[in-house]
Amino acid sequence: MNPMPLVLAMLRRDVGTSAAFVALIALAVGLAAAITSQERALRSGSARAADKFDLIVAAPGSQTDVLLRVVFLQPGSVELLQGEPLRRLMSEARAEFVAPVGFGDSYRGNPVVGTTAALVDHLASGRLEGRSFIAIDEAVVGAASPLGIGESFQVTHGHGEEAFLGDQHGQTVSVVGRLPATGSPWDRAVIVPIEFVWDVHGLGTGHGAVPPQGEEGAGAPEAHEEHPSAIGPPFDLATLPGIPAAVLKPATLADAYGLRGEWRTSETMAFFPAEVLVELYELLGNMRAVMSGLAIATELLLVGAILCGILILMRLYRHRFAILRALGASRLYVFAVAWCFAFVLIAGGSVIGLGVAAGITGIVSALFAQASGIALDSGIGWTEAGLAAAVAAIGALLAIVPAALLYREPVVSALRGAA
Amino acid sequence: MLFAEGIRLAFSDHRGTSFTALDIDTFRPEPGKLTAIAGPSGSGKSTLLYVLAGLQPPQAGRVTADGMDIYSLGESRRDAWRRRTIGFVFQDFHLIPELSLVGNVALPATFGRSPGSRRRASELLVALGVPTDRRSVGMLSRGEQQRVAIARALAFDPPVILADEPTASLDGAAATDVRAILKRLAGEGRTVVVVSHDDAVLSAADATLRLDHGRPTAGFPMAAE
Repeated sequence: MNPMPLVLAMLRRDVGTSAAFVALIALAVGLAAAITSQERALRSGSARAADKFDLIVAAPGSQTDVLLRVVFLQPGSVELLQGEPLRRLMSEARAEFVAPVGFGDSYRGNPVVGTTAALVDHLASGRLEGRSFIAIDEAVVGAASPLGIGESFQVTHGHGEEAFLGDQHGQTVSVVGRLPATGSPWDRAVIVPIEFVWDVHGLGTGHGAVPPQGEEGAGAPEAHEEHPSAIGPPFDLATLPGIPAAVLKPATLADAYGLRGEWRTSETMAFFPAEVLVELYELLGNMRAVMSGLAIATELLLVGAILCGILILMRLYRHRFAILRALGASRLYVFAVAWCFAFVLIAGGSVIGLGVAAGITGIVSALFAQASGIALDSGIGWTEAGLAAAVAAIGALLAIVPAALLYREPVVSALRGAA
Repeated sequence: MLFAEGIRLAFSDHRGTSFTALDIDTFRPEPGKLTAIAGPSGSGKSTLLYVLAGLQPPQAGRVTADGMDIYSLGESRRDAWRRRTIGFVFQDFHLIPELSLVGNVALPATFGRSPGSRRRASELLVALGVPTDRRSVGMLSRGEQQRVAIARALAFDPPVILADEPTASLDGAAATDVRAILKRLAGEGRTVVVVSHDDAVLSAADATLRLDHGRPTAGFPMAAE
């Protein structure tokens, strides 16, 4: 028994209707698969973006806010870590490095981040193009930055909508290095010495005398030697300005947990970016479950509606099937033709749906990367394939309904019905 | 040898009133003969054809083929018997436009196993004078389409041909061709039973059963007109 010649003939006969059925199923499967694929891509993309930030220490507050500021370079404000806790942190001996990070400026919409060369080297993983900054007026740019090595620029005060081209600090910075792509918002960043950020905001350089605040000469430190051109640690702890956060690189895993515990105090908070992300993922996971459930329910309703359409279509074919029975076809053959017809539409829609999902996730990932800087791996995995297979399997079961109705159709009445 | 005896069949109309569809003591169309079934509309001609084909079980009586009661077979075995034994020809051909000419003729081969079916389909089309260079059914005249339908009926080389008004949709020349083909098939030793209003078919028939309200009014057993 080979029902396929007739199934293909029926598909050709109703090519428009068949294509519409397939397109609807493909769209439904594509949207549902895109949700799971995108959520997975978001997890892996954000986890990869946070990978290099081992331990973050900041002033007490929202870990999520600090994570968004430090790792994802989102505009916003957090409490500054300053005073004695900051001085102790900068002297932390169990970390390979303690890199302060500072924000507040931008270049053509891209964030300008102040930090130390140690963090730049850490982010580069030995693949830095050019060199790291060794002077206060030098910068390293992310892989996606519009600036090239050797170019000079002036930073603009503020970030995002707050930034105005006319509100430039005036100091010219030269690009001396470029980071490899990290798939994080840091790819678009312009990284300058933290001293530059402090200096352009009138906070000194952390290496000596603080410029007078208010009236000229008032508030000047009394006994600190000034090294305005020095960058990087050791800082002058007495004149160290406040910072939004610091990134610590513990030497070992034990040190990491030890440092996190030690810096969780009433004056500081310390966290691994991964633990904050896990909390976000749990929330995201719940959302995914709800959205996936809704999408699957919609898919099933659609498959049901399409099977109703197929049922109506099969009623139009009942005379043709009666003719086949008169020519010697068995009930099983008729069942097989009707079932295969429905299954080909549903399975075809499911398979094409995976392509639709790949297209949707590709577009959404590109838009998301453009907006956030986080590179998402848009791809279809086994989860999405399983979803499409589940739809096809359920469709295969539901396709029994129209097939069984035709199976039970009395031949003679169908022959007379169209005579 | 196809033989129907004591066939009784009654249907009910939409008001529940029962009426006789068939009441035939014996009907034995002979191999090698063209047997016609005639009568007014609703006289039971097509119903008798369906009974003979194993599609419509009678309420009483039996149909035998070479001594075997076909309604004693299970449905799937009766389907297989019909596939091997009966070739059906319809008034409106009922070809499938989306299939090629050969695909239409070889279609019954997809119901079961039939190696070499496409080659046989081509041979049948040639034998029946169908222009095989035409790519689709829609490019054929109605007479040619009926010849394709006859070729399809012959796909399994069945010993019995049942034709329901095979010339009713055809013009004069095409109808003459189809009559000649049916006559030729009977001449080859097949049992050919034709339901028809066509006087030319009735004239060409070796025997005619005339029905009215499901009952024979003339012609059988084997009273050639």
